[in-house]
Amino acid sequence: MLSRTALLSVQRPLGVLAMRSASAAGSGDQVARRERPEHPGKVRLGFIPEEWFQFFYNKTGVTGPYTFGVGLLTYLCSKEIYVMEHEYYSGLSLAIMAIVAVKKLGPTVAAWTDKEIDRIENEWKSGREEELQNLAEAIEAEKKEQWRAEGALLLMDAKKENIALQLEAAFRERAMNVYTEVKRRLDYQVECRHIERRINQKHMVNWIVNNVLGSITPQQEKETLDKCIADLSALAVRAK
Amino acid sequence: MAFGDYPAEYNPKVHGPYDPARFYGKADVPFGQIKVGEIGAWLSRRNKSPQAIAGAVSRAWWRWQHKYVQPKRAGVAPFFQVTLAAMTFFYAINYGKMRHHRNYKYH
Repeated sequence: MLSRTALLSVQRPLGVLAMRSASAAGSGDQVARRERPEHPGKVRLGFIPEEWFQFFYNKTGVTGPYTFGVGLLTYLCSKEIYVMEHEYYSGLSLAIMAIVAVKKLGPTVAAWTDKEIDRIENEWKSGREEELQNLAEAIEAEKKEQWRAEGALLLMDAKKENIALQLEAAFRERAMNVYTEVKRRLDYQVECRHIERRINQKHMVNWIVNNVLGSITPQQEKETLDKCIADLSALAVRAK
Repeated sequence: MAFGDYPAEYNPKVHGPYDPARFYGKADVPFGQIKVGEIGAWLSRRNKSPQAIAGAVSRAWWRWQHKYVQPKRAGVAPFFQVTLAAMTFFYAINYGKMRHHRNYKYH
């Protein structure tokens, strides 16, 4: 009984929890979450967004944006809105070095960083999947344990049946005991009666025989002997 | 709305997890779809309080981050963009000194 109450008290909050988590998951699916994109937005010349060129393409064709850029730079330089002082030339040399570095080292660095990000992502993903796997296994084990706990109820029934059988066996054994005891007592009584009768009979016979023998007088004995001799002689005459 | 709070229109039950690049208020017609004559009316409808301007800058920053910096295989473009923006900004604030280095008197 203890195990059954424990089972019930454990099962109830578990069911409530499962329901609550299911409803939470259902409401969470309604809103779309921001996904991390695989690739960044497209750029031309290293930094100018592709959308800028698309905006120009509809009005001026393919070369329009480049013409606009060159024209704007020409205007700024020609009117000396953009002043080419000494810092301009140091900036230009820095830009050339940066472009050469990107062109030369870019592919190598890109390959290395792609490899690294894949490795990091795989690590995290494998950790997460392992955790999910472990939790699924734990759920399976828990279900199996519950199945085994149900088996304990069956075991209890079997034990009860076993005890009933034992009680029945004890009852029958005692009934048999009573029967044999009663039979033995009755047999004793019967034997007692038999012996009493036999002794009575024996005593009676002895008494009668003794009385008869005691009542025989010597006269009678002599007469009897004479009679016997007479009989014998009569027999002898007849036998001749 | 104090410092560090979410926008007043943001409701986690409706919008889900907070997206810093998203405007949660009522959307107006996009700037790219209005006629030139409607620009004045469009600008007059804008909320020009300091909080709103800071929010707009913050959303622009996060839109740029999500597009060029945060993707899985982001390239070198955001570095050049930051460099170019910084060059432009510092040239603008230093223009008063730069203009003394001009080589020609007449243009």
